[in-house]
Amino acid sequence: MSAPVPLTTDPGRVASATPPAPGRSRRLSDRGLAVAFTSPALLLLLAMSVFPLLWALYLSFTDYSATRGGAAHFVGFGNYTAILTSAQVHQRALTTLIYVVGAVTLQTVLGFAIAYLISRRTHGRGLLTTLFLVPMMLSPVVVGLFWRFMLDAQFGVINSMLGSLGLGQVEWLTRQRTALVSLIVVDTWQWTPFIMLIALAGLTAVPKYLYEAASIDRASEWFRFRTITLPLVWPLLLIAVLFRAIEAFRLFDLVYILTSGGPGVSTETLSFHVYKVAFLGFNTGTASAYGILMVLVVIVLTQLYLRYLNKLKEG
Amino acid sequence: MLLVATTLTACGGGGDDGTKASAPKAPATIPELTKDPLTLSFIWFDWPPAHALEDFANAEYKKERPNATIKVNTVPNANWHDAMFTQFAARKTDFDIAILDSQHIGEAVTNGNILDLTDFVKNNIDVNAYNPYLLAAYGQFPQAETGKRDENASLYGLPLLGDTWTMIYRKDLIGDKPPQTWDEMISVAEKCQADHPGVSGLAFHQANGSDAAAVTYNTVNGVYGGNLWDAKTRKIEGVLNDAAGQEAMDVLVNKMKPLTAKGSGNWFIDEVNAAVAQGKACIAFNWIAASGGLLDPKESTLGTTREQILDKLGFATLPSQKTNLVPLGGMGMHVSAYSPTANQAEALNFMKWFERADIQKKWAAAGGVPSRTDALESPEFLNAGPFNQVYTDSVPRMRDMWNVPEYARLVDIENTNVNAALNGAKKPKDALDDIAKEQQAVLDSSSRKGGGGL
Repeated sequence: MSAPVPLTTDPGRVASATPPAPGRSRRLSDRGLAVAFTSPALLLLLAMSVFPLLWALYLSFTDYSATRGGAAHFVGFGNYTAILTSAQVHQRALTTLIYVVGAVTLQTVLGFAIAYLISRRTHGRGLLTTLFLVPMMLSPVVVGLFWRFMLDAQFGVINSMLGSLGLGQVEWLTRQRTALVSLIVVDTWQWTPFIMLIALAGLTAVPKYLYEAASIDRASEWFRFRTITLPLVWPLLLIAVLFRAIEAFRLFDLVYILTSGGPGVSTETLSFHVYKVAFLGFNTGTASAYGILMVLVVIVLTQLYLRYLNKLKEG
Repeated sequence: MLLVATTLTACGGGGDDGTKASAPKAPATIPELTKDPLTLSFIWFDWPPAHALEDFANAEYKKERPNATIKVNTVPNANWHDAMFTQFAARKTDFDIAILDSQHIGEAVTNGNILDLTDFVKNNIDVNAYNPYLLAAYGQFPQAETGKRDENASLYGLPLLGDTWTMIYRKDLIGDKPPQTWDEMISVAEKCQADHPGVSGLAFHQANGSDAAAVTYNTVNGVYGGNLWDAKTRKIEGVLNDAAGQEAMDVLVNKMKPLTAKGSGNWFIDEVNAAVAQGKACIAFNWIAASGGLLDPKESTLGTTREQILDKLGFATLPSQKTNLVPLGGMGMHVSAYSPTANQAEALNFMKWFERADIQKKWAAAGGVPSRTDALESPEFLNAGPFNQVYTDSVPRMRDMWNVPEYARLVDIENTNVNAALNGAKKPKDALDDIAKEQQAVLDSSSRKGGGGL
């Protein structure tokens, strides 16, 4: 007696019975394919980020010098102690703090204000946004160079304009106070658009019905801003502030081009100081410890900040 | 950047268990040269002599070695030291000949980055053709005493471009005769500034990058009888900031600085040249090798022809005061220890060729500053530029800075502090005392465990 013939065909069984497509290796499962596609990126990440970071961590406990060569001798926490107790480092930390607070505050206020004004426009919003974004697209070195010319006390366009208004020359880059202010202004010119962009995204995402309800209740403009706009945009704005603060904390390029850390060392930031330790004296061990400490500061502050953000969201 | 650099260097550089590296020796005679096409690469900073060298070498050296092409790679002046020494740190260079400042030699020799040329020089170079101090300044390590050469010391380089400061003065504003003493120069500049509103009395290097402000202070220090250090005892504190050093700082900050243009506290070579070319300075100081552009009518408002400009501009040796010292500038050629053997051989051949009497004169005619005495006194050199006589006259008066492995840090300390004093960020006395203290700490910190470099 022959086996009964099924009346219907089970597509799954038919499919499983189909031989694999020619050319496809039986070893390359989906998981294998995933590994094959992600491993180049992972290897690159390991080679260019993780391994150097671990190596720098190791070097930070040694007296290794990249140019002098020789074996790296273990010095324990010597490098870390020296950095944390150094008056020079404290001075650079203070300069960096003033710079970060000054630049990020100014950028946040201006960026949000510009975004708020743009969001209220119905015509030309796209064009305005694009125009405001131009500074952000330029290389910091290019920005530094042309601001250096513009701020030149003798030949710069800024002093020329001040002169035409009957005001005296200002030594923008060669006096202690004005040099740091100049750095903050140039950084603000370049990075305010970043805050503006994020704030604009937040502002456009605020549901319109909230404003409509407020209008029905005859709420004032200030009341609407304080109770609807700001609370809804605030978390997004804080993330933008976080990114900018991290960027500003590791400022190097503008200092290098505009002031070289001067006058004296009054505009030397922590990053600029690390560069000098690393490449003038080639004290690689100390520079590695310095870099690790800077990373730690950023990680700790970011964690605290993120916790605050999470609380804000929960609230 | 730091992470990648440390990884590259740390992975490639370990293994010799802390023993001090020493420069490998170049062969005493030039090995057989390749007949294949070869590019001989230099590294220098971007300024007119770098371009002049590439043009000159490709025009002249190719006559003897048609298969060789000369490439002078340039970087901004502020990156010059880093560009060379980060490659040295990686034990791999994309240049065959490093053009080092005289003060970089110690660092490169101690780290074993350049070849020891002592035997090569003995066999191939006529050392008697040079002022001994010039030969020593661009090649000898340990550093020679000012004005001398230690014939028993090793040589690691040969002169490429001599240089010193020239005083550039406006003949139409202060007269044909340049001031002879430093005090006279200051009073002449003061009067010129008062008589000509809009024109500053002085223009000189004040920036805190490279060696700008440091060379300015060191020059005034030398003229007023000061010393940078006691090389034998490696003592800076108490030497640099002695009475002569304090007087020099006082002259620089309180007498010279008020005669400069407002906002000139970050000026270096280009800015000083621009002030002169635009007729904004009565008296200026600049490196001779960077002064050629001042005679270009396209760059100047002082005249429409070179002759018209020269009617207004004069070039003179620096005024003297308690001494007649002038700063030693210029650079030497040094063979990278990491260059391929064929390129090292070509580099040695190039250096031997370059130091020949006839080539030195041609180099002078092409706008270079030679080092051989016969070339310095030749009409080819003396007639090539109005400032060349200044260089020849200045050679016996030269003084260099410290040629030690810690040079980069020493000069940074001096630059930042002098710049701070010039721009009102520090009192002159405090700045000088800080320089002495911090530099002494750098020299004394070689045995320190941890925290080096801060």
